[in-house]
Amino acid sequence: MAHVQLFVTCLVDSFYPQTGEAIVNILYRLGIDVDFAHDQTCCGQPSFNAGLRAETRPVAEHMIRVFEKTTGDIVVPSGSCAHMLKHGYPELFQDDPNWLSRAQALGRRIFEFTEYLVDHLEVTNLDARWNGTLTYHPSCHLLRGLDIDRQPRLLLANVRGATIVELPHQEECCGFGGIFSMEHPELSAEWLKRKIGNLEATQSPTLVVAEAGCLMHIAGGLHRQKKKQRVVHIAEVLANQ
Amino acid sequence: MNTEQFRARIRASIANQNLQFALDSNTERRLKGRIAAFESLPDWRERRQSAHAIRADVIEHLDKYLNEFIVNATQNGITIHRAKDSAEAIKIVLEIVGATHLSPQQKPLIAKSKSMVSEEINLNHALESEGIRVVETDLGEYIVQLRHERPAHIITPAVHLRRSDVAQLFHEKLGIPYTEDIPTLTKTARNVLREVFLTADIGISGVNFAIADTGGFCIVTNEGNGRMVTTLPPVHIALMGMERLLRNLDDLALMLSLLARSATTQKLTVYTQLIHKPLAHQQRHIIILDNGRSRLRHSPLKESLYCIRCGACLNACPVFRELGGHAYHSVYSGPIGSVISAGLFGSEFVPLAQASSLCGACKEACPVDIDLPKMLMRVRAGQAAESSEQLLVNSEGGGLSWKSKAFLKMYSRVACHRRLFALSQKFAWLGTLLISPFSDYAYLPAFTGWGYSKDLPRFVGKTFRDSWQDGKQVNRYTSAQVDKEISKQVDSYTGKQTEAETRTPAESNSNSSLVSRFVEELKKVNGNVIQTTKNELTTKIIGFLQSRGVGRVHLEPNVLDEETLSTAGISVSHEADPAIRVGVTRAICGVADTGSILETDGEGGKLQASLLTEVHLAVLKKSEIYPSLSDAIHLVQNSKSAVFVTGPSRTADIEMTLTIGVHGPGELHVLLVDD
Repeated sequence: MAHVQLFVTCLVDSFYPQTGEAIVNILYRLGIDVDFAHDQTCCGQPSFNAGLRAETRPVAEHMIRVFEKTTGDIVVPSGSCAHMLKHGYPELFQDDPNWLSRAQALGRRIFEFTEYLVDHLEVTNLDARWNGTLTYHPSCHLLRGLDIDRQPRLLLANVRGATIVELPHQEECCGFGGIFSMEHPELSAEWLKRKIGNLEATQSPTLVVAEAGCLMHIAGGLHRQKKKQRVVHIAEVLANQ
Repeated sequence: MNTEQFRARIRASIANQNLQFALDSNTERRLKGRIAAFESLPDWRERRQSAHAIRADVIEHLDKYLNEFIVNATQNGITIHRAKDSAEAIKIVLEIVGATHLSPQQKPLIAKSKSMVSEEINLNHALESEGIRVVETDLGEYIVQLRHERPAHIITPAVHLRRSDVAQLFHEKLGIPYTEDIPTLTKTARNVLREVFLTADIGISGVNFAIADTGGFCIVTNEGNGRMVTTLPPVHIALMGMERLLRNLDDLALMLSLLARSATTQKLTVYTQLIHKPLAHQQRHIIILDNGRSRLRHSPLKESLYCIRCGACLNACPVFRELGGHAYHSVYSGPIGSVISAGLFGSEFVPLAQASSLCGACKEACPVDIDLPKMLMRVRAGQAAESSEQLLVNSEGGGLSWKSKAFLKMYSRVACHRRLFALSQKFAWLGTLLISPFSDYAYLPAFTGWGYSKDLPRFVGKTFRDSWQDGKQVNRYTSAQVDKEISKQVDSYTGKQTEAETRTPAESNSNSSLVSRFVEELKKVNGNVIQTTKNELTTKIIGFLQSRGVGRVHLEPNVLDEETLSTAGISVSHEADPAIRVGVTRAICGVADTGSILETDGEGGKLQASLLTEVHLAVLKKSEIYPSLSDAIHLVQNSKSAVFVTGPSRTADIEMTLTIGVHGPGELHVLLVDD
C-alpha cells in the first residue's frame, strides 16, 4: 500500500481539523495510507514572508528534520505552505549549502493536495456529491505561485449534483496575505469587500478554496458582515458522498 | 517615511473617491487590453523567457556592454557623460545648458519629453531654481507639471485625474473656457506646446533602450513629443539609467514587441525612434546615470534591474489600484517601485515592500519575468544594500510594526517545539473561547488589524493532531473505493493554455498576404491606405490634396513628379515650415504585423515632413513590406535618426480616452505602390 505524509499546516490543525480529516478519508478511499508526523508544527511562512529570516531558520530546520525521519511524498492542503516548502526554503537557505540541499530534497517530496490527486495519482473523479451551486476562488500562491489551477477545477467539475459557476474577477487576491492583512488592514479590507461582492454576484451559497488562509479571511469577513455564504476547503467538498 | 505615515497616506487614497474611480478604470482597461494585445503574439511565453535571459546577460556583464556602447556612441558623434549621482547629473545638464552661448539675460527654454530618470534626479526643480524655463511636453506630464505634482504612474502620469480635473486646470492656467471635451483639451495643449517645440533651445528626453553594438538608442512615444525634442532643438540631451542597455538590434526588436503591449496594450508604440547620430547642426548628449544602480546590481535585488519600465506591474497590482503613485512618495511606484526605491534611495522606502499580499499578479504581468514577490520579500528581509560595503544590518522585518514583529518572533520560537506548539494551541483556544463563548467567531477590535474588517474563527479545542492521536475521529474508509479506472479516464479538460497558433500569414513568404496584413494592421491603428501604381502616384496625391484644398506641401525630394504638381497648382517646399499642413515622404519599408512604416532622416527635412505636419502621406512600395519588426529593424543602422511610425499621433493621457493627433500628424495615409 502506497503511503504519504500529511503536512496538515498550522491553520488546518488549529482551526479546520475537518479539512485534514477529509484529506485522510479521500486518500484512504484511494487506497493510500496516510502518516502524520507528530512533531510537525508550522512551515514558518508568516515570519519568512514578513522578512524575519533569522527567526524563520530554526522553524524550517525543525520541519526539515521532522520530515527527514519519514518517507514518501508529502501532501499539503495549502498552496502557500506548499510554495513555502518548495520555494521559500531554498531561498531561505541559499547561502548554506548543507541546509540548501536538505531543503531541496524536502521540496521534491512536496505536493499540494489537488496537484497530488490529479497529477500524481491521476485521479480526477472522487465519486463526490454536493447538492447545490459552488464557485471557486483560485488562491494566489496556488494559481500564480505553483501554477495549479486546472487540478482543483477538474476535481470540482466531477462532483455529482454540483453546479459550478465562475467567480467574477476570480484571479484577484482576497486580501489575506497573512500578516499583511494585519499590517495593512485598510488595503486588505478593500480587496475583501470586492471579493465578497463578486461572490454575491454569483449567487452561489458556497465558495470553495484550497487554502485555509483565504478561507479564514473570507469567512471572517462574511461573518462580520452577517452574510450567509459559506466558505469550504475543497477537500471537504471532495470527501462528501 | 515610516509605516504610520505610509498608512495615513493609504487611508487618504482609499477615501479619495475621484482617485478610486480613476484607478479602477485604469486597472480594468489596462488588464483587459494587455491580455488582448498578447493574443497577437502567440509565442509570447518564449519571448518573455528570452527577454529575461537577455536582460540577465546585460546586467551580468553591464560594464562590458556599457563600454561597448560608449565607444560606439562616441564614434557616432554623440557626447557621453557619466554621472554617479543626481547632483552630478544635474551639474552636467547645467553645464551643457550654460554652453549653449545664450546671453546672461536670455535664459534658455527647454522642451522635455518623458524621462523617469529626470524625475528621479528632480531635474525640473534644479533647472527652475536657475531661472531656466522647462516645459514637459507629454500631455500627461504637462498636466501634472501645471498642477505642480509628480507623475502618478510611470507610463500614464495623470492617471489619478478625471477629465473634470483637467478641464478646470486648463481653464485656470491656460485661460480657455471650461470644457470637458477631451479632443478640445488635447488640441489646446498641442497649440501651446507646438510653440515650445519650435522655439526651444534644448530638448531633453529619456532613453528606453540603448544598443551596445550600434551605439544608438531607442525612444518610444505615442504623441510625437519624443520626436520633437530629439529633432527640432539644436541641442538634445538624453538621460539614461545605466542599466537601460541591450546588446543589439535583435534584442531590441524582441523587447519592443513586449514593451508596447505591456505598457500601452499596443503592438508597437506610434513613434518608435532609433537615434544613432546627431542631425546636421545638432549636438547630442547622453548622460548615463548610476545613482545607486551599481550598488543594486551587486545586491540580492539585482533582478530588479532587468525592468524595462513598462508599468504593467503597476496596472496589475491591487495595492497600486488602491493607492495610485503618489502615496508611495517615490518616483517609482507599484511593485517595481517598492523594490527599487529601497534599493536605490535607501531604507526609508523599505516599508513600501510590506504593503503587499505577495499575490504575484506583478510577476505574472512582467514581460521580462522579474520575480517581484521574491524581490519584495528580500527588501523585507533587509537585503536592499544601504551602501556599497554592507547590507542593512539587523534590519530584517523592515517596515513591520513592533506588534507584528513581537508576535512573529514569539510564534517562531513556539513553532520549533511540538509540545510548546500544541500547548499554545490550547491557550489560543481558551483565549478565543473566553472572548467569544457563544459563537464560533470572536470579535476583535479594529486596532488589532485582524478585527478591522473581519472576525476571527475560534481556535478548536480538539486540533487535528489531537484527533490523530486519539485515532478515532479519522474514519478509515475501507469500502467505497473509487473506481480508479474511471477516474483515470483521459482528462477531457482542455485547459486554459491554447496551443501556440501556427505562425501568422504575415510570416509566410507570400507578398500578397504581407500586403493584406499590413493594410489590416494599419487600419487598426487608425491609419489609412491608398492603393496606387507607380504611374498614377502623383495624380493620386494631387487628387488627395485638391480634395482637401491644400496648395502647398512639404515634399521629400525625388518622390513625386514635381512638374506635374506644379502644373496642378501645388507648390512644393523641401524645407520644414510649420505653416505647411501636409507632408509627403517615401517610407523606407513597411512592417506587416504591426502596420508600421519606417522613416529616416534625409534630404529636404524629411523627418520633419512626417512630424510637424497635420497630415502625413507616405509612399511605400509593396515589395518593401517586411513580415515583422525583427526583419526590418536592421535597416535603421545607417541613418542618423530613424522612426517606425505606427499610425497617427495619439494619446490616452486623459481618462484613458484615445485621442488622435497630439503633437505629430493626426492623419497618416500610406500610398501603397504596386511595383
